[in-house]
Amino acid sequence: MADVARHTLHLAVPPGDVDAVHSLLEAVWAEAPGIPMMERFRFETALLELASNVVKHADGGSGLWCTLEIDAHPEHIEATVLDDGEPSDAQILLPREMPDELAESGRGIAMIQALVDDLTYSREGTTNRWSISRRFAS
Amino acid sequence: MEYTVEDLGGGVAVLHLDGRLNMVSAARLREAVTSTVALGHTRIAVDLAKVDFMDSSGLGALISGLKTTRQAGGDLRIAAPSEQVKLVLQLTNMERVLLAHEHAETAFSG
Repeated sequence: MADVARHTLHLAVPPGDVDAVHSLLEAVWAEAPGIPMMERFRFETALLELASNVVKHADGGSGLWCTLEIDAHPEHIEATVLDDGEPSDAQILLPREMPDELAESGRGIAMIQALVDDLTYSREGTTNRWSISRRFAS
Repeated sequence: MEYTVEDLGGGVAVLHLDGRLNMVSAARLREAVTSTVALGHTRIAVDLAKVDFMDSSGLGALISGLKTTRQAGGDLRIAAPSEQVKLVLQLTNMERVLLAHEHAETAFSG
């Protein structure tokens, strides 16, 4: 499988339509048919948690733009999410435990950590940069 | 996400969901459970056969529904989860709390 072209999506928040992220991934999978189904589920779940986290928490009230970039390679896949919203607390990257079983929220970051090999966050000027990457199980 | 409610009698109802269960549709699921319980159906089977994707917000709505039904003396069970939904349940250690049944119609019988 050859490398596929970068896939990019610009998302306005609001409305923050995360269905567009699913559509973007459909285009990636169509060009990279060798990626196993379970790896697609893992990456799609992680990226949607990340995008939803930005949509929910980065908007300080005046709206924001969010850009997603996905690069699929034969043995790994990575995505970067850039937004011009409110800065996130870098402590968000500390290893997370799942909350109590009857908790109704607080699982998103812990799920991303369990789904991918790397999750990073940095604040660059007025931009938040999140990235995730996953090496496919062989 | 769309949904329909099927009354099985005896206080049991099936919520058939169709679409993605995410941050947008989670609120609809909470409302659907609340209104179904208000109609006297306190045992709810959530049919996930047509839910191809669930995120942590969707899982939160199922847990909310579980608590709503239990507070009314009933219960909430799930049926026919997709591979992606099973992955989310497994990663979050929720497989034992939200036990998956094969069919929604029989989740409360047998």
